[in-house]
Amino acid sequence: MEQRELQILWVAVVSYVLSGVVAIFGVVLNKAPHRFVLGSLVLGIVLLSASLGLRWERLGHGPFITLFEILASNVWSFSLIFALAYWRYPPIRGTAAVVMPIIFVLLGWMALSSTHDGHFPRSFRTPWLYIHVGLSKLFLGTVLVAVGMAGVILLRRAGIGISRFASLPADERLDDLAYRFMALGIIFQTLMLISGAIWAQDAWGRYWAWDPLETWSFITWIMLAFALHWRLTMKSSPVLGSWMIIGVFVFAFLTFFGVPFITESPHKGAV
Amino acid sequence: MAAAVGSLKLTLVCLVLLLVAVIYVYDRGGEGHATPPLVLPLTMLSINLFAAVVSNKTFRRQLPLLVFHLALILIIVLVALGRMTYLRATAEVLTGGEFSGLDRIEAGPWHWGRKDAIRFENLGFQIEYKPGLQRDSTRNKLRWRDEAGIPHTEEIGDQEPLVIHGYRFYVSPNKGFAGLFRWEPSDGSPQLGSVIFPSYPLYKDDQSSQWRLGEMNILTRLIIPGVLIDPQKPGWFRQPGEHQVTLDFSWRVATLRPGDAVQLPAGRLVYLGLTTWMGYNVFYDWTMPWLLAACALAVLALAWHFARKFAAKPWQAG
Repeated sequence: MEQRELQILWVAVVSYVLSGVVAIFGVVLNKAPHRFVLGSLVLGIVLLSASLGLRWERLGHGPFITLFEILASNVWSFSLIFALAYWRYPPIRGTAAVVMPIIFVLLGWMALSSTHDGHFPRSFRTPWLYIHVGLSKLFLGTVLVAVGMAGVILLRRAGIGISRFASLPADERLDDLAYRFMALGIIFQTLMLISGAIWAQDAWGRYWAWDPLETWSFITWIMLAFALHWRLTMKSSPVLGSWMIIGVFVFAFLTFFGVPFITESPHKGAV
Repeated sequence: MAAAVGSLKLTLVCLVLLLVAVIYVYDRGGEGHATPPLVLPLTMLSINLFAAVVSNKTFRRQLPLLVFHLALILIIVLVALGRMTYLRATAEVLTGGEFSGLDRIEAGPWHWGRKDAIRFENLGFQIEYKPGLQRDSTRNKLRWRDEAGIPHTEEIGDQEPLVIHGYRFYVSPNKGFAGLFRWEPSDGSPQLGSVIFPSYPLYKDDQSSQWRLGEMNILTRLIIPGVLIDPQKPGWFRQPGEHQVTLDFSWRVATLRPGDAVQLPAGRLVYLGLTTWMGYNVFYDWTMPWLLAACALAVLALAWHFARKFAAKPWQAG
């Protein structure tokens, strides 16, 4: 990795860490340093964009191949979508204390992964790559925002931070808002699966082949559909609903960040 | 009755069954084991959805929800029809040769496609490699005839299949060399034939192929001196300038260059030279455009439903 890309990346990491730490201490100390948290988060996004942009320019392809690239681009999309939610819905800003540690996990993993270049297969040179990957990032990002709210509900019920999260809406309202983001998530994930099928048909002559990544994505889709349908049918409590949101996120996280790196062919024929 | 079958709680059971079936199919290796385990949950789900649409008055009040559920039923029906009528196969065609049939065919029991009417000729291909023998661009020129018998020349390649009578021919990573022979029997007219060597460069160290000539088993090896595609730098798939083939008849071994011949008890075998072959993945599923349309309709209807539902109450929490 070029020195300049690395320097900008590390400044971005520091910016993200500052944003997260201040957000967490803001909740702990019952302060509201929202402008600093948002400003630092946006600075991190801008710097990470610059670092990834330089890498893209140097390699001739976007951050779609190696573990480092996938983690870095997801830190970027997670933080961008959360920053938008943070800016647009002030009452849920306290959820940063739940969301930022998840972004820290990705940042730490990214820092430990190799920054080497990977082969960009011919089958990736299609607009469907951007559509498919973009939709997957929108799906994960919207579910992450829901996880922030679910985490607050569960922390409150566990007796942790009842007073600290007092400024956030009541559990029922948070639950309702979280499920709106889950509803957005299922739209994006359905579109992601459709665009992936179109791409797979063009690239490998089959729209579905039961490969690990597409199968686990579909399993995550079924779980998300189940969670949404359960909430509608059973009128479940915010606590149970929150556990379902966490469950869907865990499956989605393992699918997107685990499966591609534990199987020889994440998408058969992709490499 | 319809209300019970269309119960929302039964939908949850169907989703769990579908989840279990998908995990089971995946665990069994996917393709080839998929249809039987998925029949029960998908049939139950389609009956449940249909009964819900018939019995639940909500669907009459909420058009987007009705469209979404009807689209889901349509998707299940199309997937079932697709599984009954699909075809998946491979084909290998020599450069300069005509398509002569499909191999490794896997098809649904109701497959009715016109595979016997497929006619095309492989006019040659180019494949570029990046350092490390990483396959890059593949271009393959073909000539095919339409219903009226008019010939068309078309270049296919990565993400661009040849589509004839609904059959989609995709270039595959499977390609290589083939030896051309002329058999001149002592008591008959000469015949032309080819021996296909394994995929190149995947099996570059084992370019051998076993075949039969009358009662004789012949093991043919292709020997290419030097490095044909240098893995250290960018390159392209090409025929070797110099090469030879060895024919192992078990009682003797003959080494031939293009134009050489070997005399055998029943005649003379002439090695004419080397050509290339391209492997294709072949896919047929007439439901694909309809399936795409049904999926698009389902997701649009769901988005419409959520948009209406959420518009009734502001997003701003508080």
